[in-house]
Amino acid sequence: MADLSLSEERTAKPAMTWPKIPAAVVIAIIWLVAMLAIGLLADTLAPYGMTKMDLRNRLAPPGHALHWLGTDELGRDVLSRLMFSIRISLLIAFGATAISAVVGTLLGFVAAHFRGLVEQAVLMLADFQASMPFLILALAVLAFFGTSLPLLIGLMGCYGWERYARIARGLAISANKQGYAAAVRQLGATPSRIYLRHILPNIVSTLIVSMTLVFPEVILLESGLSFLGLGVQPPMTSLGNMVGYGRDYVGSAPWIMLAPAVTITLTTLAVSLIGDWLRDRLDPTLDD
Amino acid sequence: MARYFAIRLLRALITIVLVVTFVFVVLRMSGDPALIILGPEAPPEVIAAFRKAWGLDDPIWLQYVNYFGAIAKGELGRSMRDGRPAIELVLERIPATLALTIPALLIKLAIGIPAGIFAALNRGSWIDRAVMIGAVVGFTVPSFVLGLVLVLIFAVQLGWLPSGGQESWKHSILPIATLGIGGAAVLARFTRSAMLEVLGHSYIRTASAKGLSWRTVVLSHVLPNAAIPTVTIVGFMVGSLIAGAVVVESVFSWPGVGRLLVVAVANRDLAVVQCILLLVAATMVTSNMIVDFLYGFLDPRLRSPQAAGAH
Amino acid sequence: MTALVKVDGLVRSYHMRAGMFGRAQQVRAVDGVSFAISRGKTLGLVGESGSGKSTTGRLVLGLENPDAGSVVFDGAAVPVLDTAPWRASRARMQMIFQNPLGALDRLLPIATQLREPLDIHTIGDAASRTARVADLMRRVGLSSEIGQRYPHELSGGQRQRAVLARALTTKPDFLVCDEPVSALDVSIQAQVVNLLTDLQAELDLTMLFISHDLRVVRQVSERVAVMYLGRVVELGDADDLFASPQHPYTSALVSASPTPGRGKAERIVLAGEPPNPAAKPAGCGFHPRCPMVFARCRVEAPLLVEVAPGRSVACHQVGSGSSASAGALH
Repeated sequence: MADLSLSEERTAKPAMTWPKIPAAVVIAIIWLVAMLAIGLLADTLAPYGMTKMDLRNRLAPPGHALHWLGTDELGRDVLSRLMFSIRISLLIAFGATAISAVVGTLLGFVAAHFRGLVEQAVLMLADFQASMPFLILALAVLAFFGTSLPLLIGLMGCYGWERYARIARGLAISANKQGYAAAVRQLGATPSRIYLRHILPNIVSTLIVSMTLVFPEVILLESGLSFLGLGVQPPMTSLGNMVGYGRDYVGSAPWIMLAPAVTITLTTLAVSLIGDWLRDRLDPTLDD
Repeated sequence: MARYFAIRLLRALITIVLVVTFVFVVLRMSGDPALIILGPEAPPEVIAAFRKAWGLDDPIWLQYVNYFGAIAKGELGRSMRDGRPAIELVLERIPATLALTIPALLIKLAIGIPAGIFAALNRGSWIDRAVMIGAVVGFTVPSFVLGLVLVLIFAVQLGWLPSGGQESWKHSILPIATLGIGGAAVLARFTRSAMLEVLGHSYIRTASAKGLSWRTVVLSHVLPNAAIPTVTIVGFMVGSLIAGAVVVESVFSWPGVGRLLVVAVANRDLAVVQCILLLVAATMVTSNMIVDFLYGFLDPRLRSPQAAGAH
Repeated sequence: MTALVKVDGLVRSYHMRAGMFGRAQQVRAVDGVSFAISRGKTLGLVGESGSGKSTTGRLVLGLENPDAGSVVFDGAAVPVLDTAPWRASRARMQMIFQNPLGALDRLLPIATQLREPLDIHTIGDAASRTARVADLMRRVGLSSEIGQRYPHELSGGQRQRAVLARALTTKPDFLVCDEPVSALDVSIQAQVVNLLTDLQAELDLTMLFISHDLRVVRQVSERVAVMYLGRVVELGDADDLFASPQHPYTSALVSASPTPGRGKAERIVLAGEPPNPAAKPAGCGFHPRCPMVFARCRVEAPLLVEVAPGRSVACHQVGSGSSASAGALH
């Protein structure tokens, strides 16, 4: 018996060691960390204020001694505006991803716990959400309520919840039927203890993989809405706003549009790369 | 079989009911509809008449029922801007949108599906890698960025094509390309993974081990099975023919339904927004239902009651 | 002797459907089961899969609510599932599952999981909880460094010892063991069974021991109930029942189980389909496979009647006073 346990231990150990991270993923992580740092430290890092105008250097191209990424037609520093935009866009994306992960997981647990009609209602809502283009629903809500930053975060937070709900429901049901959750339940644990202390840690890696799929989509959605002028409102600025604003200068000053456009693309690309890699690492069973 | 279709039909109806409920709830939550629709400057007697006409003094459940009745009769309200029926405004924009989305859909199908099939059959080749990179780029580059980059290259730098408007067929080339390229990438990636999934099954290996030529195996076993999941995403693309060009229409100032929606949202022209929302829902639900029916024919397993009940 | 656990007329049905609009069919998994277990004793519950023995175990613990019948534990009804009183009652009644790896949370070290019942029922302070865990681990034969390990780092036997220790953490009076050793290697089965019997004697535990393995049941149980298609067909003292089975089904089970001193020639092979609760035959559930079947068996289900002190059998051949014992089969 001692031999048996030793050999099992030996086979178990290698699975715990962290494998080598591919170069592309390392770069993606570095990029994402840099974006986070810029978002957090925008106030100190930005060379100019968000609305500070330099009227002598309007529409200056990138490479200008005072304005590395150039200026717009009001002489506002593109680099500084980009930094503040990153802050707002990431704030919305993180806030919304967190909301939809929490709400979705909670609804999934509620469906798994009560089953029956409650479960059917949750699944019906999830079906509905998945079958309607979210952009149209979001536009409708903005039409009715107008727009504000908290509303925008809340609205984006409604995006993608159904994926967490489906995952959480499925995994919680199988854990409840058999295994550790059933065992803990019959120890006398309360539902909150079962779901939060036992089931949640066991499914969190799958949920994180889903978050890496939802996060870039939220960035794209928010930037799309802001591009249309229906998202973040001036004087606040987000990456989508900057692109929308720069569209009028595509001919004369394309850098105004290109700087935020490249940032959006690289950030969604970085999160997608990290997500794909995590999915292969943590959860080979999850597909799509 | 009839049971399978009945369940799909029921689901479609439920989705429509949910959309209508969504609009109703949002409308009521956002404040007094009379004030929103007529504006705060409206005289009190007009507001009172409006309240009476729309039954706003009735109990909420009765309003909800009446709301369904009004929609069933096609009473979708009038645009605040020019007083015309909202449905008219929306319908006259549909041809312009379809002029973009239908060619774009054809491009997606013509490029995306063959590219995905080819990539899967030649897994690991440079074509496969190119398709995968294209698919990732297609996903990560937002459509408005792609559109503006195309404008920058073909309108500003090269001067070959116009950057916006709807004067001639040339004006539609860039928007169609923008829609088509992004969608083709998504479709290619999806088709590829559906193909790989099927190729990984043992019955495919059995079929080729039995001495059937690879060509026969692919044509008679792999493609039909890979088609089943691909139909779903194509169905979603068909369903979004009307609403799928919101951003691109705005980039290219194309006077379609999407542009109308953006303007209506900006002006809070609620009747128009509501009308478009219901129209989109109806289109999505219809195409979902067609996909489900196609499934029923493509995949005999789904017709069995067990599989239908499992959903 | 007072009974700690008294089960009376338990019934549990499930609705099964063929498809979404298929006709709902009622399947009686447990169909009027009654027994009692004296304090400090073990009742073995024997039967094939589909006999309803596991469902009975869950009903006794209140993990499922019965459609009819009652379970009385220490003079009071077992509380309704998932209520606060039910949760509190878990400190006194516990369950051991078949699959120890599945019953443990793979993300928590063993010691944390052994401590969890004390945390749940807020028993003792931090120091006394730690001491209790150390004591338990010693009792079930786990060395102290195993407390810091994770379930996948343990062998099957160690895991089941850990599960057993966790069940005993709150010093329960009653333990339901559902196939506790059938997932283990045969060499380890005996160790765990011995541990269980030692602990039972030491802690004065009352047990319901569910298994399809007659050898193991015989080793741990004072009394044995044999189940077939949701009903108890025979109930009696373990030695007595195994020595002279009265019900033809019990006879078949006993003959199929390898026993020293008995030749293979005596083995009774059961004909027909294994029991399917979704398609119960009319009359006696066992009649399609019974070698002693006669007309009455096909129309009337026999009741469980006492045929001797402490011995009950549900069989027309036995209950009707005929001398058809198992011996008559040969």
